[in-house]
Amino acid sequence: MVDTIYAEDEIIGTKKAQEIISKFRHAKVTSIKRFGEVFNPSNQNFRIQKTNPALILAKKQKGFVLDAPKGFGIGDQNNYYFSHMYNCLYDCSYCFLQGMYNSANYLVFVNFHDYQNEIEKIIKKHKEKKMTFFTGYDCDSLAMEPITNFINDFVPFFSRYKKALFEIRTKSINNSVFRKHDPLANCIIAYSLMPETLAQILDKKAPSVSARIKNMKYLANKGWRIGLRFDPLIYCENWKAQYAELFAKIFEEIKEENIHSVSLGSLRFPKSFFNKLLQYYPNSEELSFLRSNDKGIISYDQSIENEMNEYCRLELMKYSDARKFFSCG
Amino acid sequence: MIKKNFEGVSVRWVIALKGEAEEIIKNYSMKRVATTPFPVYKNKDLDMWLILSGIGQLNAVAATSYLYVKSDASYNTIWINFGIVGSRNFKVGELIQIDKITSSDFQDNYYPSPSAFKNNNIQRCNLITVNKPEKLFENNGVYDMEGYGFFSFAKKIAPYELVSVLKIISDIPGTDLSKIDKNRVEILVSKNIQFIEKVLENLLDLQKILFLQLRDPKYFDEICLQKKFTFSQKVTLRKYLTQWQARFPQRNPLEEIGQRMTASQILKKFSDNLLR
Repeated sequence: MVDTIYAEDEIIGTKKAQEIISKFRHAKVTSIKRFGEVFNPSNQNFRIQKTNPALILAKKQKGFVLDAPKGFGIGDQNNYYFSHMYNCLYDCSYCFLQGMYNSANYLVFVNFHDYQNEIEKIIKKHKEKKMTFFTGYDCDSLAMEPITNFINDFVPFFSRYKKALFEIRTKSINNSVFRKHDPLANCIIAYSLMPETLAQILDKKAPSVSARIKNMKYLANKGWRIGLRFDPLIYCENWKAQYAELFAKIFEEIKEENIHSVSLGSLRFPKSFFNKLLQYYPNSEELSFLRSNDKGIISYDQSIENEMNEYCRLELMKYSDARKFFSCG
Repeated sequence: MIKKNFEGVSVRWVIALKGEAEEIIKNYSMKRVATTPFPVYKNKDLDMWLILSGIGQLNAVAATSYLYVKSDASYNTIWINFGIVGSRNFKVGELIQIDKITSSDFQDNYYPSPSAFKNNNIQRCNLITVNKPEKLFENNGVYDMEGYGFFSFAKKIAPYELVSVLKIISDIPGTDLSKIDKNRVEILVSKNIQFIEKVLENLLDLQKILFLQLRDPKYFDEICLQKKFTFSQKVTLRKYLTQWQARFPQRNPLEEIGQRMTASQILKKFSDNLLR
């Protein structure tokens, strides 16, 4: 899988770095001073790098936990996100990461303790408030779990702070880490979903949607709480029938009481991200419906966005309590 | 020879000495097209050029920039620095693909992209570029006198992933340097030519990915010839035509354009059609 590992001098000797390195017996390990030497210098090309991504092990120096964008959340007052990793094992055509970075290398920050210290500080500072910590936006943490052991480290950590929700956003069907731990009431395993035929075209290298549903069912039956994330909603011919079929299939398999929250989001990009995506996927019909709005954001026409949101909400209300519905910003 | 001759093939070799270049010149049927300030060779059918830089980092940078201008190299060009090196870690004759480049003079290090190493099973190693011929090889790695200078410039004119440094071990501790003559170097290179070809084939695959990304959409040139578009209108036109191709592969956008339409009316027409 990975034949090149770059490791910062500062962390190469740490237990976590060595643990990860030991999983790639055939990889060539090269020492670096700072990850910026190999991650995202100008003139790198995301699509070419994606043909053979390297793994970069580094130390995050600052900015461990960030405020979530305004309007983003699943019901709590305070929302934060944190990323122990940039870039993803999967290769989804609409992923904003390929617009954001020139580099497709997997960058893992191995100093998990520093993240935990920062989260602890925030929780203690806002003792009275309910809060959510989101992860899995700059990577798919669960997909990389066999390498990083991130969830294995963070589930026990969050078990000490019942008031803080921990959301793991994923498309992975890896469930072995959840079998090792007792279900945690404040942990949400949130699945990104879209109609199967669209996922077959767009969610490259990711598990099929039916496999994701099957895994959600398994986890729900074990007592884990599930989040449904229809973010982004993708416009295409026949989208109403496709989404209706998807919702029906999900709720046929999973009991509503196991669903913690449902969120819907529109497909949106800053202009520069979109221009790169269009260059990478000139034949993508799905990208051909997107337009620049007057704020310089690329999205579907407002009428399409509204229609999709409205329709999907109404469809979902057939199966689930609307109080569980949230918008992804 | 190149098996994958697709539109967009563009290759530049930067090699210090004639002895190191001879087999490459022969293998890719290049002929001399200039003598000064640097000898330059070219294949008559392909966009493939080779320059003899002479020894040292300054020469490498000067020759690379000279060839860049002289050959009108596009952004989407493969740049390869090839030559002989010394090392205490390898045997004479081994081909090495460089994955880290350091210099005794500069703090920054460079890291050629792992995409270039994929599936070729060629040994990888770090390169230390020095200013005087090295005899002791105190550090692990291979030693040369051009790689750092070459890479520092080439990465500015081409994507990182298309810039590669390839070396063959010619001397190890105890080698009598006076015995490394042109003939011996040519033998070392000829023994490795099939592996060098393999590296190039892989780089050509990467180049193709980029070529398809950078290519203008169908009908772009024709439409620009018909009407006068400003720079920013051309950017929008490029975007709309790309989307058009994906959405209406059977519809020719030229047929949507009326004779008297202005550039902005054309863009509006495309935009309206693409909206739903």
